[in-house]
Amino acid sequence: MAERVFAGKLQRAGFADVWVGGHQPFGIDQAALYPLFTPEVIQVMRETIQADHQDHVATGVIVKARRPQ
Amino acid sequence: MARDLMFQQEIKDTVQRAYGAITGGAGETVARRHYSDQELAEVPAGAVEWALGVGNPVRYARLQPGQAVLDVGSGGGIDTILAARRIGPEGRAIGLDVLEEMCERGRRHAAQAGVEGWIEFRRGEMEDIPLPDASVDVAISNGVLNLSARKSRALAEIFRVLAPGGRICMADLTVEGELPPEVANDQSAWAG
Repeated sequence: MAERVFAGKLQRAGFADVWVGGHQPFGIDQAALYPLFTPEVIQVMRETIQADHQDHVATGVIVKARRPQ
Repeated sequence: MARDLMFQQEIKDTVQRAYGAITGGAGETVARRHYSDQELAEVPAGAVEWALGVGNPVRYARLQPGQAVLDVGSGGGIDTILAARRIGPEGRAIGLDVLEEMCERGRRHAAQAGVEGWIEFRRGEMEDIPLPDASVDVAISNGVLNLSARKSRALAEIFRVLAPGGRICMADLTVEGELPPEVANDQSAWAG
């Protein structure tokens, strides 16, 4: 899910003051530390994602919002 | 429509099966990327070992003593326990997880942390949260919303259980652009 899609879903749910920050790159080597990514899918990622993008496949973010009064 | 529902059920089953099959979390190496030494010292080793999140929502949530906090997708309980420490015994921390074995781990880790008096773990789905309307002050989650095939429904449920003026603070992954179809269509990638 893209960041703007995430923010849009929050707004459509009724949330206000949507804030996205704390951006951190998330790469294949980091994904490999999570048991939910199988070795097979990690291998597929290494084979199909361009080498210069492999250290930033996704972005870790913090998303904050408020339910209006 | 029927096909969409089948696809949603397939994703849900895949995620639950994947989480039910794992024998540990991402471990201390990953936890040290997201939590300070001080924060890791506040939780039992088992909760650190079972950490599966992608950030540290508690650090950003500005929790206050006495608040009611919901941790959506609480897993082994690391964020629920950190939240319980911030809100203290006058507050209430609720961990919600779809797997009963995760709830049991959370309870065990909370007892080891000594916060069991104001923390509870409930089995339930983020798309159908078993809490009354307007019953929590803050909702946190960590790498969980992306697992839902019905993200808008999950956000609507979090909105419902938050009190007016309540806040949500989530850590998650975003992806700009398209992943290769070999990755995007892999069931393991949905669960991860």
